[in-house]
Amino acid sequence: MADDKRDTSTMDKVWNFFTSLKLAITVLIIMAVASIFGTIIEQNQPIEKYRQVYEDWAYHLLDRLNMFDMYHSWWFLLLLVLFTINLACCTLDRLPRVLKVVRNPKTTLDENLEKTLGQVDRWKKKGSLDAWADKYAEAMGKTIGKPRVTKNGDAVHLYAEKGVVSRFGVYVTHTSIIIIFIGAIVGNVLGFKGFVNILEGQSIRQVSTPRGDRSIDLDFAVRCNKFTLTYYTDEHGHQTQQPKEYASDLSVLENGREVLRKKIVVNDPLQYKGIWFYQSSYGQAGAASAKVAIREPGGALVTGLSLFAGQPVEIPGYGRITGTDYQPNYQGLGPALLVTLEKAGQPPSQLWLLESRPDFDRQRKDRYYLSFGGLSQAFYTGLQVAKDPGVNVVWVGCTLMVIGLLIAFFMSHQRLWVRLSPSADGRVDVVLAGSASKNRLAFEKKFEKIQSDMKAVAI
Amino acid sequence: MLNVRLFDLTTLLFGAASVNYVAALYGKKDTLARVGTWLCVIAAVVSTAAIGVRWAESYKMGIGRIPVTNLYESLVFFAWALNFFYLFVEWKYRNRAFGAFVMPIAFLTMLFAFTNDSSIQPLVPALQSYWLHAHVITCFVGYAAFAVSAGVAVMYLLKARQEEAKTDAGVVRLFPSSKALDDLVYKAIIWGFPFLTAGIITGAAWANYAWGTYWSWDPKETWSLIVWLVYAAFLHARITRGWHGKRAAILSIAGFLATIMCYLGVNLVLSGLHSYGGS
Ligand code: HEM
Repeated sequence: MADDKRDTSTMDKVWNFFTSLKLAITVLIIMAVASIFGTIIEQNQPIEKYRQVYEDWAYHLLDRLNMFDMYHSWWFLLLLVLFTINLACCTLDRLPRVLKVVRNPKTTLDENLEKTLGQVDRWKKKGSLDAWADKYAEAMGKTIGKPRVTKNGDAVHLYAEKGVVSRFGVYVTHTSIIIIFIGAIVGNVLGFKGFVNILEGQSIRQVSTPRGDRSIDLDFAVRCNKFTLTYYTDEHGHQTQQPKEYASDLSVLENGREVLRKKIVVNDPLQYKGIWFYQSSYGQAGAASAKVAIREPGGALVTGLSLFAGQPVEIPGYGRITGTDYQPNYQGLGPALLVTLEKAGQPPSQLWLLESRPDFDRQRKDRYYLSFGGLSQAFYTGLQVAKDPGVNVVWVGCTLMVIGLLIAFFMSHQRLWVRLSPSADGRVDVVLAGSASKNRLAFEKKFEKIQSDMKAVAI
Repeated sequence: MLNVRLFDLTTLLFGAASVNYVAALYGKKDTLARVGTWLCVIAAVVSTAAIGVRWAESYKMGIGRIPVTNLYESLVFFAWALNFFYLFVEWKYRNRAFGAFVMPIAFLTMLFAFTNDSSIQPLVPALQSYWLHAHVITCFVGYAAFAVSAGVAVMYLLKARQEEAKTDAGVVRLFPSSKALDDLVYKAIIWGFPFLTAGIITGAAWANYAWGTYWSWDPKETWSLIVWLVYAAFLHARITRGWHGKRAAILSIAGFLATIMCYLGVNLVLSGLHSYGGS
């Protein structure tokens, strides 16, 4: 183990320090405790907010210790570096030894080895040593694996093993951590994060950094064709106030030509040239307007208008109309618009126009009639934008980590030895021994079974 | 709704089982503990049915989804998984003493769930992701394993103290040997750790799909990392001279306290992007 006192030269001391498991445990616990502080003290808030919360002295102390952006502070980074060096040294220290054991397993069972093994049993058999060796080799082949046979003087040694990979589970896990770190660094250095708001019908070629202090040029444009917000309906089919979906219909434009179009929703982003666009927020752009059509009694369209609340619009040769009120459900008849109509030489009159009955106003039997085509509201969509060329490296690391853990925890390196040697009384001395790197209890049972099976073998 | 009635019944069963196990330990009556086991088995059936019914009811409401998407559902799922883990341990180790240390955790969890909104609500857009399901299920199976491990770690500490003092009195006498308990603490954690790891990874994948960052150091994420670090420390403590035994058991208990903080404390005490409990 790393904490053995073997040599005490300075280099060795440094090496022992960096390969020590105690350092690993200490660093893990320090990182855990530091992270706790990072969740108690809110991170990356505006200075004024901290000033309100903390006394002067506490503010200065915490600021000095970089506690307001702790996870990016020099000392947290140093901790991560120490952790990584520790992990790398540990692996470099042990992996060669493991490789040696795996490449050159001890295929002969001598007395020293016998003493270190948990499971040992011995018995005697009458007959030819070679014949028994063949029989036992066959029996081992059925349980652990085909044995290697070594002749050593008078004795014959059989060795079989299973699950050698389990020795590497730990190293797969450890390496995966370093792979994840590499992926994170690549993402930080070569990638960016940003956001952008796009008005419906407009396109952008630039996004802002999260703090909004810089903008990043894209080499293509993104247009928001439409933003839609849908709500859940209740059991009667009426709309509730619970949002069901935020969706943006986006187009990617290269030199003004559409090259890609996709409707994105939360959890389903758009990707183009390694840059991802995520549905993140939305907002209303300007006030809502009411769509009103002016028609002749026969139905022919005279003109279409957009009415903004309280702003009169002149209809040449007819009069002036103003949108006065809107009700989403007027007397149970659905959305309706109240307009004020002023005609020269007449007192102003008020009309309710129903969206569900566009011909309703025909009943006035006037020169024109008005029909309400619904409210129109312009939206902008808020998108998070991210480029992270390291993210796939991170996922590879994550996958390896889980695989490594499963190998390390649930596989076991099982080894079985048999030594056959001539006994003084002319019979054959048989020694059976075994060991397992994990789950020894289960292996004990397996060993007992192998042992009774072998004893029962007859020639 | 029917599913909530069934979960209420589960709560009662867990409560009764806990009382039986504790009473059995103090009264040294194995019959009581055997009743506890049967109550747990019935609770396993009832709670499984409840989850199925809730699932079906959500489909009937036209918002069908796996019931693992809000605080109430995650609490009952945790208790469900814990009960199954517990029954497995009891069966495998043929010792009912564990019940007194594990089942009260399931009972308290259900009591807490009882105080929360149990209605089935449609999912807000941010939660409409398959990653969410994978995330919640892996995390809570991991948490359940850690709960078992912490309960057994407490037993280990009691037993180790008694073995050191070479006394042989009281209920602790009935526990398995400290070596067996130590082994069980470890076994529970080697189940919990890969699940927690997968839980953190699926959470990161989800965050990446929802807003383009797999890790943003928000309090919930950070606490899950703290839990993970504590159990990583435990795994290494166990193979280090001078750190195994008591210190490892204490790390296991600390790990479970951190788990509770991660699961509930963050929402109740700290603020963050995760919306459980807050809404
Ligand atoms: C959080 C990060 C880490 C994780 C997730 C991790 C994971 C693991 C796991 C799962 C095992 C197997 C334990 C068992 O089978 O009971 C292990 C063993 C080990 N780890 Fe780590 N580890 C981490 C950090 C480190 C660090 C920083 C070191 C540096 C010294 C280290 C050194 C070792 C050693 C020496 C072993 C024993 C290998 C053996 O059995 O021969 N680990 N680790």
